[in-house]
Amino acid sequence: MAVNLQTLSKNEDLLTGGHRACAGCTGSNILRQIMLTAGRDTVVGGATGCMEVVTTIFPYTAWKTPFIHSAFENCAATISGAETAYRALKKSGELPVPRERINFIAFGGDGGTYDIGLQSLSGAMERGHNMLYVCYDNEAYMNTGIQRSGATPFGAHTSTAPAGKVKQGKDRHRKDLTKIMVAHNIPYVAQTTPFHWKDLQMKVRKALDVDGPAFLNILMPCTVGWGFDPALGIELSKMATECNFWPLFEVENGEYKLTYKPKADRTPIEEWLKQQVRFKHLFKPGNEHLIVEIQRWVDDEQRKLLKLCGEA
Amino acid sequence: MSRKFMKGNDAIVVGALQAGCRAYYGYPITPASEIAHAAALHFPALGGTFIQAESEVSAINMVYGTAGMGIRTMTASSSPGFSLKQEGLSYIAGSELPCVVVNVMRGGPGLGNIAPEQGDYFQITKGGGHGNYRLIALAPNCAQEMCDLTVLAFDLADKYRNPVCIAADGFTGQMMEPVTVPAARPVPFDHTSWCVRGDAATHRNLISSIYLESADLERHNLKLDEKYRRIARDEVRCEEYQVEDADLIVVAFGIVSRIVYSTVDQARARGWKVGLLRPITLWPFPSARIAELSRRDVRFLSAELNTGQMVEDVRLAVEGRAPVHFYGRCGGMVPGAEELLAEYGKILEGGRS
Repeated sequence: MAVNLQTLSKNEDLLTGGHRACAGCTGSNILRQIMLTAGRDTVVGGATGCMEVVTTIFPYTAWKTPFIHSAFENCAATISGAETAYRALKKSGELPVPRERINFIAFGGDGGTYDIGLQSLSGAMERGHNMLYVCYDNEAYMNTGIQRSGATPFGAHTSTAPAGKVKQGKDRHRKDLTKIMVAHNIPYVAQTTPFHWKDLQMKVRKALDVDGPAFLNILMPCTVGWGFDPALGIELSKMATECNFWPLFEVENGEYKLTYKPKADRTPIEEWLKQQVRFKHLFKPGNEHLIVEIQRWVDDEQRKLLKLCGEA
Repeated sequence: MSRKFMKGNDAIVVGALQAGCRAYYGYPITPASEIAHAAALHFPALGGTFIQAESEVSAINMVYGTAGMGIRTMTASSSPGFSLKQEGLSYIAGSELPCVVVNVMRGGPGLGNIAPEQGDYFQITKGGGHGNYRLIALAPNCAQEMCDLTVLAFDLADKYRNPVCIAADGFTGQMMEPVTVPAARPVPFDHTSWCVRGDAATHRNLISSIYLESADLERHNLKLDEKYRRIARDEVRCEEYQVEDADLIVVAFGIVSRIVYSTVDQARARGWKVGLLRPITLWPFPSARIAELSRRDVRFLSAELNTGQMVEDVRLAVEGRAPVHFYGRCGGMVPGAEELLAEYGKILEGGRS
């Protein structure tokens, strides 16, 4: 189970370069990190979304593993089918190339996971397929032009929740998908970021090792949708955790555990917000209360989480 | 009346707002997303509603909910999203509710691509979802019509209590052209007799598509069929250019009709009598007019961005009286003028059928 740079550096990079992700994309970094741990015996499914598009522009593919795409709303169902076929063939001794274990990983963005794909994800988790679902959460529909999603944070400007004279970006907080997945009583649920590489690798290892479904929610700073210097993506994922916007925790068989304890004097949320163009309007005079509201929400959520983790 | 330079997709929103629509429900998809962006900006600012649903299924069912109140409402999507809406459309048609659904068609089947196509012709004109129903389908071929046909779509929807589809393609959605903005006007319909608003005037009304007794459901279907016959009789729209003396009548809609239009005079300069018949309503299809034109020595060519869909309706209208040819490109490939002229030459001089 040990994860260290020495072993990881020897693992094969299963997502090749030359794909068409934006400069400074943290999503391709997330996929590479996951695949370093998952290894070659992995079947990957991708819901429609930016990472599916940029890695599989036909006739090219960046994947050195089998890859399945179906549609926006049913990646979890498609991987359910693949995993079921594997089990059936294994049982009947008809696997063309016998493998003791194959990992089944479904990737979806927040649009394909929080919103349109939630039904098929919920079904797959409830049925108990031996699969890992990874949500790369960049907090809006970046592939179709930055529309708001159920993951978009309060106050963020998007093309369908624009900031203007009447409204100041999205007027709802994001839904807590990670906890929705916990409520499915599956063996493993966690959230992490690409900055915390060791945390991420440990979580991928655990998620693939459990018997049954697992879910990872990974924050993916998006240079285009969030509006920041492409050099700062990984830094912003670190800062999201430091200001408690994206705490790192895992839930193993229902037991919550913090995997990173933030400092007692957490970073104020404005430090994170002010790095991003999508929150620029919050810093206009008269909008101070909106930042106060975001901080209140972050503090409330953190308080609830610490209680669940037995840290309160 | 002002004249503005805008994308076809934006022109749809302008048309909707001028027609008095104030309730938009949508979901992101390329190449239709600009419609949602423009709706998100303008509907709330004019006292209306914009809601981004969590899926296409939810968006069409939000339309179902609002339409039941007798309020003008719409959604817009592109081919894969339009597929997801089919169940909702069947319910809306079965319940006889007015609404407008825009389909900015892209390449299919499956994931296809995001380039322009007309591959949803069957799905739009033959029902699409389950059961016996029809969508009225309007096919704009320029930004001005994206606006004007949207206004017309709301009126037809209200007049017949039926969903109306704007059958656009990626080209008409994405290209920019000058648009004369029509004057805003009040909605000229009163739906109190059937809608449900939770008030005294409508509390006896019932909106439903369920008829458990076979005889009742047959009666309901016959009633719908009678309505569709009325629409087919009264609402056919098409545009003609140089068809009267034509030896070859090209039938084309949407962006293809623009290209064909540009070839008619060029063809005549080469001595080929070519004309254009452009269905503006894909359903009801201008079958009677095509039948009339087929009663002389003439050939037809259906030019489409697909592998041959509207050509079946042309053949049904012609009933074997004249040869019907087909020329199609798909996947985002669009025929150029020279390519079409070469095809006319083959038909008129090569005698191929």
